[in-house]
Amino acid sequence: MEMNYLLNELISWLIFLFGIAGPFYLILRAIGIRGFKEITSYEPHTTFFYRMNPLVKIVFSMTVMIAATITIWWIGAILTFAVLLTYLSLRNGGRKLYLGGLFAISTIIGTAWGYAPFATSATLSIAFPGYHPTILWTWPSYFSVMGYEPQLTLQALLYGLQISFRTAAIISSALLLVMTNTPSQILRSLHKFNIPDSIIFTLMVGMKSIPDIFGYLDESIKIQMMRGLGSSHSRLFKPVYMLIAGVSAIVPTIIHLLRGAKDIAISADTRGFRATKKRSYVDEIPITRLDYYALGMMGFIIAVAVISIFLGFGRTIPYVA
Amino acid sequence: MKAIEIKDLKFRYLGSKKPSISVPYFYVEEGESILITGKSGSGKSTLVQCINGIIPHIVNGKRSGEVYLFGEPVSGQRVPEISRIVGTLLQDPERQVINYKVEEEIAFAPENFNLPREEILEKIEESIRAVGIENLRGKETSHLSGGEIQRVALAAVLSMDPRILILDEPTSNIDPEGTRDIFQFLREEKGKRTILIVEHKVERVLPFVDRIVVVDEGEIVLDGRTDDLINEAHALMELGIEIPRHILLANQMGITSYDIDEVRETAKQRNMLPEKKVRIHGRGAVLSTDVKVEYREGFRLRLSTSFEEGTITAVMGRNGAGKSTFLKALIGFIDKDQALVESPINMGELFLANPDLQTRGKYIGYLPQSFDLMLINKTVEREMHYSSRVRKANGMEPLIKELMNLFTLDKFAREDPLTLSQGQRRRVAMGATIAGGVKVIMMDEPTSGQDYMHKENLGREITELKKRGYSFIIVTHDARFVYRFADKILVVDKGRLAMEGTPEEVFQNSEKFGIVPPSEYLLRYGNELLVE
Repeated sequence: MEMNYLLNELISWLIFLFGIAGPFYLILRAIGIRGFKEITSYEPHTTFFYRMNPLVKIVFSMTVMIAATITIWWIGAILTFAVLLTYLSLRNGGRKLYLGGLFAISTIIGTAWGYAPFATSATLSIAFPGYHPTILWTWPSYFSVMGYEPQLTLQALLYGLQISFRTAAIISSALLLVMTNTPSQILRSLHKFNIPDSIIFTLMVGMKSIPDIFGYLDESIKIQMMRGLGSSHSRLFKPVYMLIAGVSAIVPTIIHLLRGAKDIAISADTRGFRATKKRSYVDEIPITRLDYYALGMMGFIIAVAVISIFLGFGRTIPYVA
Repeated sequence: MKAIEIKDLKFRYLGSKKPSISVPYFYVEEGESILITGKSGSGKSTLVQCINGIIPHIVNGKRSGEVYLFGEPVSGQRVPEISRIVGTLLQDPERQVINYKVEEEIAFAPENFNLPREEILEKIEESIRAVGIENLRGKETSHLSGGEIQRVALAAVLSMDPRILILDEPTSNIDPEGTRDIFQFLREEKGKRTILIVEHKVERVLPFVDRIVVVDEGEIVLDGRTDDLINEAHALMELGIEIPRHILLANQMGITSYDIDEVRETAKQRNMLPEKKVRIHGRGAVLSTDVKVEYREGFRLRLSTSFEEGTITAVMGRNGAGKSTFLKALIGFIDKDQALVESPINMGELFLANPDLQTRGKYIGYLPQSFDLMLINKTVEREMHYSSRVRKANGMEPLIKELMNLFTLDKFAREDPLTLSQGQRRRVAMGATIAGGVKVIMMDEPTSGQDYMHKENLGREITELKKRGYSFIIVTHDARFVYRFADKILVVDKGRLAMEGTPEEVFQNSEKFGIVPPSEYLLRYGNELLVE
């Protein structure tokens, strides 16, 4: 009896820890910081995504987001896979698909796990008509302090999985924009929307900094490992120690970035940023026939989404408030 | 006409009791080139930030007095407006470049000023020609070396055609060739516009400036023509400023020439040449390795060498030669998906084939250039105990106490390491690395951006540790530091070991690998360049 109790406690904590560390470990080990940098950085190429106007790509991301949000989960799943398949047209397409696919999987696992333990019976009853829970695991009662439901059910996991396709579709399409445009191209496009320069510049610096953030985190984590973190425990626990190292790395990374952010702000302001209300551009990015085709495709996606709703494939999954 | 005029300027950062800069009166004539120097934290950068408007417009604090640019007060103008007159090049090239392509970066300022497209194109061409970066057209800024990025950043500043150019430690983070190019630009620009250059490398900048201004504890303590420097050399040394050895010697001998050959000849006649440096060798290898790295992008490194016990080995070479890659391969920092890595290590009876970080970290310490990234603990004391705590190693207390004492960290023991000054943080990072019980310590560019005093302190600390049996492998561009403290140099070029030997041996032919011998070496050995 005592043994069973201890085993239950141990497994519960392992599920809890690996549930959090799993997606993080997948990003760090399977994709790697280098891989993550690859799918968040621009590389020049000539295929259609690179020739499309960035503005149209922003609209494309918004279209995917709307379609995935207002329709049934499997339309979101189809959109995720379809967008991922277009990665094949990018520079080093096969590798981009591999990395993007792994990232989508880690997003799906992370989101599903993020929702599943918290999904209430009331929510699941709406999501699954005639709801009969299949109990997979019973948590120790004190897990409710963290907001956990008493039991983990198959339906809760499926529910989390369904929700995750919305996130995965949006992230996959947003990455397309980042991988096929330079920050200044996006700056030019957003400027045409009359979005304030300060907001655009923040986005631009963010885009430039994303790869750096992961570089710094990677370095800090590696230094902790080098200094012996986790070396006195089994390799089985490496994901947990990677998570611990990742959390510890956040403060020095942020401080390091903030020190750099000041330089970026000074560099921009001392070069006339916001000197005049209007800004000129040395290279205008035109709207071409290709962009009209792309807009047509987006119209088609929205049309499919609307028809799906009328056919009863609308937003059947409630969101957890 | 006065390009810059400062009257009764005082500035105090928020939370600081003492003004960081206090200047009753200071002026710069149009077309003058001025070197502003002083030790780290002396107020040099604060002074130039008061001139380019960063203070008071971006950095907050309590400010009184005024700075005038061609008669117009800085406080009455916005920074973007000031930037039409004052161009500023910052220390770290990678942090100031925002755009993806070289031309985009140069066009950034003219675009901000809403200039017509044709004019922007003209500005791009003019700036590229002025800095001599025709070979970088169309390139991606992320693929450039530090020196190349710094020149692109300079071209981007010049595209505004500023009447005043401020260069705030522009060569701190770049290799000697990049440094030479920046100084070449200074030579060509001298007299064409007003230039203020903040630098620690007094020796290299002197030929290109008219005046030298020394800032210490927020005040201008010396403002004179460069010719006067020889009379003030020792006073400047006391202020923590790196003065070339031959100038000190000239001062000591009472001669009024900066010419190194002339100083050397006189010193030779008077038997006053500096002593030969003692280099340690023949103690047996503490670590030997044969490193092979093949990156997916194509860069290859192949380097086979060994390091002696209780010595300091400097790894030198151009940016991108493979120096940092070598260190990272040794410690196991390179991911398998990035490159194929073979870096077997022999350390006496220990053989490490697997590049596993946790295993290698037990025997080798690594201090990265961004050492802040390793400071994860809330107090200095916890940071120093980190390795022994996570490795569950007993008996480390005496070593930690010894290191706390050596690096004068006792008084900061309870403080958060990230709140300390740069020099203190570097000492915490170094102490914490050694406190793991390692005997071989690798350091990636520890001299980068450091002033003379910090470098001297670092040199003294590693020399002391060397005497206690520690071995150091240090990647650096600083030839003077290497000449003063290293026992051996490895020159890496295009991923290969190009030269290996004592500083005296290597400096004979190092220029072809972008390494300029320091004046201290030239003063001792002259142009004869013979190994004695």
